[in-house]
Amino acid sequence: MLLDQRAIIMFGANALLIYLSQLINSAMSVWPVYLFLLGPMVVLPALYLRHQSYFICTLITGFWVDATLGAPFGFFTSLFLVAGAFMFSIRIRVRPEHNYHPILLAHLLNLFFIAALTLGTGREYFGVASFWIQVLTTLFCSHLALLVVAPWFFNLERQLFEICHLETEPEDLPRL
Amino acid sequence: MAKRRLNKYKPVVALGVFLVAWWILPLGVKAFLKASFTEFQAPAWVASSYLDDLEGFWARRMHSKRELEIAGQEIARAKSYYQFNAQRAETLQAEIRRLESILDLPSRREYRYEVARVIRRDLNAWWQQLILRKGRDYDIPEGAAVVFAGGVVGRIVEVNAFTSRVELISSPKFRMAAQFEGDPRPVVYEGLPQSGFGDPVGRVSDAPQDLVATTKEPLRLVSTHLGGTFPPGLAIGKVAWLEPGGTGIFQTGEVMLDRDLLSLHEVAVLIPLNPIEIDSHAP
Repeated sequence: MLLDQRAIIMFGANALLIYLSQLINSAMSVWPVYLFLLGPMVVLPALYLRHQSYFICTLITGFWVDATLGAPFGFFTSLFLVAGAFMFSIRIRVRPEHNYHPILLAHLLNLFFIAALTLGTGREYFGVASFWIQVLTTLFCSHLALLVVAPWFFNLERQLFEICHLETEPEDLPRL
Repeated sequence: MAKRRLNKYKPVVALGVFLVAWWILPLGVKAFLKASFTEFQAPAWVASSYLDDLEGFWARRMHSKRELEIAGQEIARAKSYYQFNAQRAETLQAEIRRLESILDLPSRREYRYEVARVIRRDLNAWWQQLILRKGRDYDIPEGAAVVFAGGVVGRIVEVNAFTSRVELISSPKFRMAAQFEGDPRPVVYEGLPQSGFGDPVGRVSDAPQDLVATTKEPLRLVSTHLGGTFPPGLAIGKVAWLEPGGTGIFQTGEVMLDRDLLSLHEVAVLIPLNPIEIDSHAP
């Protein structure tokens, strides 16, 4: 099969996550709280799917996120694929059927995305204190929220696999 | 075994192929991809905005008759006040037209106001933008000025079929010509990265040295006709202090913007009725 059906569910879950996080951000625009929750989006596709399905899922998720956010188009798609390539190289050492490792990876990836975004688009404001205050506030709030959101998100994806009668275990490792 | 080892590098090879392909891909293809993905998700945002409206409608239905009567009285008072102001504005417009014809002045830019609902606010350290519920379906042009009751909101940077994206005045990427109220000399206004704590701020530069601003008597920064996007006289913000800039010839200072910029629900897009055609003036 060209595309694992779980890839479609994972893409749908990713679209839902970005939609909900943007709704919250829009509602809380008066407060200095901004939730940047892209970390969990790459974790399960890279750990559960074969390469072809993972690539298609991550590519479309990247384009979707790029169309939603204000970064240059293609920026997050490239970052997602870089992060996915890294995840693939370590997936043999990760236990994706439990939440511990995926949550840890989601935090690491989120940190990587924020750092890459800051380096990629905010270099000219490095000397401005208010920029760093906002970046650090975003970082703190996002990772605090991830403690709740990441387990919910991974459980939701697994639950959807079950509801759709799909395989709930990752593809056999170490085959790609 | 060798195949398995090669398979390990599949994601890296795919990444490399994607990056090279993205680099050489024509801009038109990228623009098409962006437009496709934006249009595909736009209905979800528009639907959530209509749900918000519905929620507001049912919330208002919960008000008692007495509350509605009081609100009606207030609206009637405001209406008579604005009717009087509209009459006065018409008289003044006629006077301006008469003086312009006597002095043989060139005609000023006229605008059509398109009121649009804000469906999403995306304000963070990297970008500051709003998404409006009107796009090409209402002939919103790219680069049009966006205003609200408190003054300038920003500029339209992207127009889609049913939505448009506004670069907010507080965004670090925003820059426009401005002037201090009562002083015709032009200055430069630009947005700054926001800390998120306190009111939004911007920066004014190239201010003449003879201008003095204090916290008791702040200077009011307004838009100017230079640049062609904004009509003159729209409020941008207040400047409470000015200090010598890097060159020492001009002054710079912080501009305090309206706090309502962070919670806008409705704005007006200014659509020029007689757009400037640059090509027609070329020699």
